[in-house]
Amino acid sequence: MWQKKVEVKMEGEKRLFINLTKVFFAVIILRCFYLQIIRYPYYRNLSLRNCIRTIDTGIPRGVIYDRNMRPLAQDAPALHLVFVPYDLENPEKEAEILSGIISMDKQEILRRFKKRYANPFDRVYIKRRLTKEEVSLIEENMPVLPGVFVQEGLIREYKLGKDTCHILGYTGEISDEQLSLLKDKGYQMGDFIGQEGIEKVYDDYLRGIPGGIQVEVDALGHQRKVMGKKDPSPGNNVVLTIDQTIQEIVSQELGDRRGCVVVMDPRNGQILAMVSRPGFDADNIEEYLNREGHPFLNRAIKGMYSPGSVFKIITETAALETGVIEEYDRVECTGEMEVGDRVFHCWKEGGHGWVDINLALPYSCNIFFGTIGMKLGVAKMLEFASMFGLGSPTGIDLPGEKAGYLPDKREIDPLNLSIGQGPILVTPIQLLSLISTVANGGNIWKPYLVKEIVAPDGKKIKEFTPELKKMVYVSEKTMEILKRGLKNVVMFGTGSRARIDKIEVAGKTGTVQRGSEELELGTHGFFVCYAPADSPKIAMVVFLDSASSGEAAGIAGSALKRILIPEVSDETHSETEELENAGTF
Amino acid sequence: MLAHFKRHIVEKGLIFWTSVLLFIGLVILFSASKGVLVRESIFLKQCLWLIIATVLCVFIKRIDYRDFQQIAPLLYFIIILLLTAVLFIGQGGASRWIRLGIFNLQPSEFAKLVTVITLAAYLAEKDIKRFPVLLVTLFIVGIPFLLVLKQPNLGTAFIFIVIFFAIIYQAGATKGQIITLFLMGVFSSPFMWFIMKPYQRERILTFLNPMRDPLGKGYNLIQSIITIGSGGFFGKGFLRGTQTKLAFLPEYHTDFIFCAFAEEFGFIGVVVLLGIYFMFFKCIAEVIYYTRERFAKLLATGILAIFIAHVVINTGMTMGLFPVVGIPLPFISYGGSSLLVSLISVVLVVNIKENTIMF
Repeated sequence: MWQKKVEVKMEGEKRLFINLTKVFFAVIILRCFYLQIIRYPYYRNLSLRNCIRTIDTGIPRGVIYDRNMRPLAQDAPALHLVFVPYDLENPEKEAEILSGIISMDKQEILRRFKKRYANPFDRVYIKRRLTKEEVSLIEENMPVLPGVFVQEGLIREYKLGKDTCHILGYTGEISDEQLSLLKDKGYQMGDFIGQEGIEKVYDDYLRGIPGGIQVEVDALGHQRKVMGKKDPSPGNNVVLTIDQTIQEIVSQELGDRRGCVVVMDPRNGQILAMVSRPGFDADNIEEYLNREGHPFLNRAIKGMYSPGSVFKIITETAALETGVIEEYDRVECTGEMEVGDRVFHCWKEGGHGWVDINLALPYSCNIFFGTIGMKLGVAKMLEFASMFGLGSPTGIDLPGEKAGYLPDKREIDPLNLSIGQGPILVTPIQLLSLISTVANGGNIWKPYLVKEIVAPDGKKIKEFTPELKKMVYVSEKTMEILKRGLKNVVMFGTGSRARIDKIEVAGKTGTVQRGSEELELGTHGFFVCYAPADSPKIAMVVFLDSASSGEAAGIAGSALKRILIPEVSDETHSETEELENAGTF
Repeated sequence: MLAHFKRHIVEKGLIFWTSVLLFIGLVILFSASKGVLVRESIFLKQCLWLIIATVLCVFIKRIDYRDFQQIAPLLYFIIILLLTAVLFIGQGGASRWIRLGIFNLQPSEFAKLVTVITLAAYLAEKDIKRFPVLLVTLFIVGIPFLLVLKQPNLGTAFIFIVIFFAIIYQAGATKGQIITLFLMGVFSSPFMWFIMKPYQRERILTFLNPMRDPLGKGYNLIQSIITIGSGGFFGKGFLRGTQTKLAFLPEYHTDFIFCAFAEEFGFIGVVVLLGIYFMFFKCIAEVIYYTRERFAKLLATGILAIFIAHVVINTGMTMGLFPVVGIPLPFISYGGSSLLVSLISVVLVVNIKENTIMF
């Protein structure tokens, strides 16, 4: 019915597919003849000794730079100790020898030797970054250590060490859970990935493409012939907003005290420095895991504390904005105040006498703020607090930022709230954001650490621009009173230790009891500030665990001096040099 | 008596050679399942698949193959839907599978056969020499081709090209048409190259030269060649393979099963295996030759092309003659989808044969 229309091939077509198959099969059989008969001895030998090994040459990560392209984290060549499970001859003896060379327990080495590996020919790390002495001792003992090798590889180096540990984070071997989540992205067992900080957040960019070589080895496992090679390609570089100089200055000023300092440009939210203490050593993670003082806690974004008197900035703004108080309304501070059956104290015994808002802020008078706090009510103060961003994360590009805690209005009384005590919690970065917002006149910029991501060839891949989260509308009059007050805090008030020559600083102190007063755990000290007061370029928060806010102000002052007046640090530097020279005579 | 037996074998040739291949497949899979990485459940699973496939085939055999000409558009529609779905809900890095209980369905395996059925059904009533017909033919192959390419499954995509040329040749396309299309394909590839992203180019380059990636595909290839070579003339013997057992080859029970075979049964074994495949192909070629129905002829041609391409590419890639791609060895590689599709293909050809008056 259908075959009339179209001509159907009949003759010849039977042969085509069969003839093609004959040609293909002939080629395959010839190839097999070559492999299985002519080259048989060679391949038999290779298979008998199982002597093809794969060596990964590491995945070079991108460099993390500061804002002036000074490297803060980069890969450096290092020698690692590895072994091939299949090539070990006498694990007991070899572990014994090794434990004498590297500082590692014999049982621990044996445990690694005897673990069941999926592929007994893959190299397994015993110890990363060997010292020169260790390498030469191992090389000497090579003949009695079959299956153990020194392998060239990479190690991550952090130029500022502990000073940047919380920003940069660290890298570590991928965990099983991470692997199951990231398998689709091409991660493999044994890969190193960012475990904290920038290394973690930007791992996708920093990670390079792994390279490796495939070699033929002799009976002792030594490399004889390279059979294949793939050059690794490095990851992209991350440029931070951090300024290495400022980072070093604040690290030195903070010293070994427990606490943190964060510096930000109030005009755009760029973080210029962030240091938290105690820190950890990225090369010795295990050692720090159980140290006291929570070395892995980045206090700047994960530590939550009561803001103390820093909160008075909010109480004052709310009071002036809602008209609860006028600029020159005065309150008498006698040092204490009775509210119901409770007695509320000012920090200064005997009181401040008659004060208006222009004096109350610099003196941080609790009675004054308690009084206006009661007039305002809890709800109003909480409204202004959340308007300034307290109670929600700032959105900084680091993992694990805490939101702090704004209490429900039934949980807290106006007296406590007005001076930042009680169940209200903030992170230091939130207070920094608060003071920056005041400094720039009402803009809440999202704090950020990464300026741009650059390919190894210098091409810009991604650029991060300042992000205005929202604007806070406060009348000019209120702003002017507030800013004047903050200047006076440093000029003659509680923050006078932050006063420096030539440049006017504005700031606010905050002291908080740790635990209840009876426990006498001491105090937390806060100091937030910005400078120069009339055209702020720098905003800073200093938080000290178990120290006074005065001390925090002192740290801020000497740091600001060195940051804003560069010649100061040069002068002191040359002075000490002169002194040293003098001493040699 | 002997003559009678011989005639019987020839008549039932297709089923006979298929059974031989299936038997060899189970034997070598049993050996492979004694290795470090692959568990015995692989062998049992394959047996279970074989039973399921056989039962299914008994039913399919009752269907007149001509009915497939009628339902071809429906089958085609379903398979395109599945291929699209697999891109979104697929399992694994390269999305190829759809999870169905304990089994994973691989729609691209079915897509090959369905495309052949659809092409045969369409060209059975159309003249390929007319340009619009050729254009529609291109579309029928082009859609699944692109979807499979997107997965990405370069090997299966290549099979679609083979299917296309085999069927239009059988349908009577002129030499001019075939050469023009071939040249168009060759000349459009540089253009594709320029619109590709760097990582896609890298993938193609690795595909063409596995040694660019000595830790991944290149590693497989080196190990695969050593494995075959170490088999020698007589092979190491059943269950005596060493290379494949020690996890040198991660995929030796699926795409690289030919290595396991060549290692244990040697050069002799390879020649015998290829001989059996050759007899199997000849049986299908006979059917193509004798059947007078155009649909049947085109259908059998497409099926033959799929089988030949699979065997040649799969064995070729294990010895470095062809880029390493995800193409199974029919009847032998582990994998339910592949086994099922292969058996259905055989049943279709048997059906055609039984409806053909031999002369």
